[in-house]
Amino acid sequence: MTKPAILIIEDDLLTAEATSHMARDLGCSVSIETTFEDGLARASVDHFDLIILDRMLPGGDGVDAIPKMRAAGSNALVLVVSALGRSANKIEGLERGADDYLAKPFDPEELRARIAALLRRIRMQSSDNDILVFGDLEIRLKARTAHFGQTHIKLTPKEFELITFFARNAEQPVTRTQLLSEVWNLHFDPGTNVVDVHISRLRRKLEAETGVTFIHTNRGEGYIFSHLDLKSTL
Amino acid sequence: MRHQLASSASLRLTVTIAGAMALLSIFGLWFQYVQVTRAFDAQQVQTLQADLEGYSALYEQRRIPALRQAMEFRAQTQTGYERIYLLLDKQHAPLAGNIPTWPANVQTSATGFQADPLQRFSYDLPDGTHQTFIGVARDLPGGFPILVAQSLSPRAQLLGEMRSAIMLAALGMVVLSALAGWLVSRLVIGRIDRVNTLADRVAAGELAARIPEPRSDDEFGRLEDHVHHMLDRIEALQAATARLSDNVAHELRTPLNRMRQRLDDLTGPAEVVDALKAELRDTVRVFEALLDIAAAEAATGDMPSLTPVNLSALCQNLFDLYEPIGEERGLKVQARIAPDLWIVGDANLVSRLLANLLDNAMKYTCCGDTVELGLHPNGARHRLSVSDTGPGMPDAPRAHVFEPFQRGTQDGEIPGHGLGLALVRAIATRHGAKLEIVSDQKGFAVLCLWPKVTQA
Repeated sequence: MTKPAILIIEDDLLTAEATSHMARDLGCSVSIETTFEDGLARASVDHFDLIILDRMLPGGDGVDAIPKMRAAGSNALVLVVSALGRSANKIEGLERGADDYLAKPFDPEELRARIAALLRRIRMQSSDNDILVFGDLEIRLKARTAHFGQTHIKLTPKEFELITFFARNAEQPVTRTQLLSEVWNLHFDPGTNVVDVHISRLRRKLEAETGVTFIHTNRGEGYIFSHLDLKSTL
Repeated sequence: MRHQLASSASLRLTVTIAGAMALLSIFGLWFQYVQVTRAFDAQQVQTLQADLEGYSALYEQRRIPALRQAMEFRAQTQTGYERIYLLLDKQHAPLAGNIPTWPANVQTSATGFQADPLQRFSYDLPDGTHQTFIGVARDLPGGFPILVAQSLSPRAQLLGEMRSAIMLAALGMVVLSALAGWLVSRLVIGRIDRVNTLADRVAAGELAARIPEPRSDDEFGRLEDHVHHMLDRIEALQAATARLSDNVAHELRTPLNRMRQRLDDLTGPAEVVDALKAELRDTVRVFEALLDIAAAEAATGDMPSLTPVNLSALCQNLFDLYEPIGEERGLKVQARIAPDLWIVGDANLVSRLLANLLDNAMKYTCCGDTVELGLHPNGARHRLSVSDTGPGMPDAPRAHVFEPFQRGTQDGEIPGHGLGLALVRAIATRHGAKLEIVSDQKGFAVLCLWPKVTQA
């Protein structure tokens, strides 16, 4: 598989550099544009798998570029990274065609997790797997069930959505904000770490049924789902 | 309410204009009627005087025989009893005339042929009718009483017809006045209503609403111009505020973002770095909450941007999110959510309101307390309640609990900046929901009454 191509349209060079560094770490080839017009022109001409887009760009609002890129034939996934970070701004961005939305200031780990999730989604689009397998753990997407060997693991609908999201992003850090927006459809930070309690319950349930720790705490921010024995910092 | 007032103002104006016009025209008709009556009476006296002067001339020439001859001739030639006359002899036996007897209650007065003084009397005529007359009764020299009178029936008939005509005319005038009053009031109230409708639309959040052209060059036109200038100014100010908050967001977030990224490159004690990260996150949260409050307040009344939202589903979703954390803290967490209750709203903001209320309830309670989320239909509104059996709140801070930076406790152990309930109020107001603090029970309870919508 060729390297995923990422276009970063960002006028703040420090952010652009940091993002670019992270994308290269994730094995991508990176291009950077700094204005609305240049970014739009580049996205229309070259093929990209993922476009990381700022909003308040010299020349216009990045979100306005999304339909124009689509019209020009680009089917890249779009991650908006913007200082317009209130939940109303996020919803506006998502409704107008962004695939994900991250507010500045962001935790670099959060950005990495989101880029990784989008890249994974690009890879998943080509495969039509109904079953996600991690060692003895099987997650059946259509039947909405999980099994460990011969044991059926009883999960609530929310727990199933959680484990599916984790499984799709296995081996990658997943943040609380990501979980809130993908599993609960909430685009704001409730402040209290409500998500943590859900995760510990799911983790305990999985451990009780399988004897294996699947959900590991990622230092500082979020979690990593893996059936391999990670050195977690619980 | 406004329509009732407007219609009653319009009614008052209509009645005033119509009343004034009708009174004026009725007074005019009455004046004319009096004039006509007077003219008619004067004419009758003149006719009587002419008659009397004829008899006087005859009397001057040949005294009683001439009068008697003339009366007999007239009695033979005249039909009807429009005029009556009678001449008696000294024994008061009739000599000539067209009536057989002297009317009762008529006394001779004076001796000449002047039409003054006049007498009014009624008389049963030989044709069987009873009529009223006006005339003179005189004693001619030698003791000959003479009576000359005119019937008042033609006058009564004419005036009667005139009264009927006046009645009809007055009725017509009243109708016309009412119509004119209605037209004038419609014109005036209509112009005021244009401004009122505009005010209603603006109050409902449509700040860009304007009264369509043309604008008349009068007081109403100038009023509309003034209102437009005022709205333009408010709109410009609001746009400036919105731009400012976007700029503040951008200008502050960018440096904060750099700080955040540089923190990662920092080589120092991990706990210091983590604490700095947490402080940074907290700073962003406070200023986001302030921007959200401002945005929700600014958008209040902007109904077109709201969509039907299943409030029951949102309540369930947020309850599911918060239930485990409550149980973890040893609270009894309950939900009583009636299914399928819809409102018109912004799902994200409503979720935020629910999250803030639940978060608040869980923050201020401790092990063993109960936190309950309830949603029930309640007439025209849906009644949402979040209550707890915690320590509650003293009355003084309770009054200001929805103000920004007000906290239910000075307890530094409980984190927060006192913006949660301020945002709750801004969101409730944005949706036209009524917010109440229930004080008659242990603990703390917030009631939110949402305008309901029936979802097809």
